[in-house]
Amino acid sequence: MSEGHVPQQAPPASGPGGGGPSGPRPQGGGGRPGGPAKRGKRSFVRKKKVCRFCVDRVDFIDYKKAEILAPFIQERGKILPRRMTGTCSRHQRWLTVAIKRAQNIALLPFAAEL
Amino acid sequence: MEERQYDLIFICRPDTPEPDIDKIIATVEHAAADKGGKIESVNKWGRKRMAYRVQKLREGYYVYMVLKSTHGEVIKELERRLKVSDPVMKYLTVRVDEELKRQEKFKRHRERRAARRPRKAAPAPAPPVGGEQTAAAV
Repeated sequence: MSEGHVPQQAPPASGPGGGGPSGPRPQGGGGRPGGPAKRGKRSFVRKKKVCRFCVDRVDFIDYKKAEILAPFIQERGKILPRRMTGTCSRHQRWLTVAIKRAQNIALLPFAAEL
Repeated sequence: MEERQYDLIFICRPDTPEPDIDKIIATVEHAAADKGGKIESVNKWGRKRMAYRVQKLREGYYVYMVLKSTHGEVIKELERRLKVSDPVMKYLTVRVDEELKRQEKFKRHRERRAARRPRKAAPAPAPPVGGEQTAAAV
C-alpha cells in the first residue's frame, strides 16, 4: 500500500487568487489532512482519499467500459474494498454492480488465469 | 406499462464470417419485432479479447444492441434464440431504463443547483468517465 510515505502536498502552484474557475475543483478538502509532517519520529500523514467518481461527478457507471472499472479490481480479479480506493458508498454500490456485469460478458475476469 | 430499455450484448465465435453475424442480428431484430419490441441501435464492437476463456477460445466477436420494449416476453424469446444459435457463445441482457432515469434525475438536480448559485462558473457540463450511456463504441 502506498500510504506510508508523505507526498509533500504541492501547493496549487498558481499564486494566490489563481484557483479560478479552471480545472475540476480542488478535490474535496485538498490541503486539510495532516499538518506539518516534520517533527516526531513516525508521523503518518494519511492523505484523505477522495471518491474518484464524485470528483468527476459520475451519475452512472457504465459496465461496458472495462477500462474505467479495471483500476478497481485486484490482480486476481477481486473487487477492491472501499477502504483501499476511497470510493464513496454510493459509487461503490454502483461500481460493484457494474463490475459484476462486466464479468458476465467477459470484459473483466472473475479470477485471474494462471 | 411503460417502456423499458435493455442492453443486449452477445459474443459470437471469432471465426464466424461477417455475413453470418449479420444474419444473427437480423433474426434478433425480427424476433424482437414479432414480440412488440424494437431495436434502437446495433453496434458491432468486433473481435475483442475476452477476459477469460469461453469454450476454449480467447477471442470473441462482440455485438451490442439497445432494445426497447414494453414487456419482458421479448427478452425471453431473444435469449432462447441466442441460446440455440450455435455461433453465439455468450449473451447478456441488462435492463437499463431505471439507471438511465436515475442518471437523468441527478443531472437535472445538479443543473438546478448550479443555476441557483452560479458562483463557481458552471461546473463542467461534459460528463466525464463513464458518465454517459451512449452507444459510443468502446
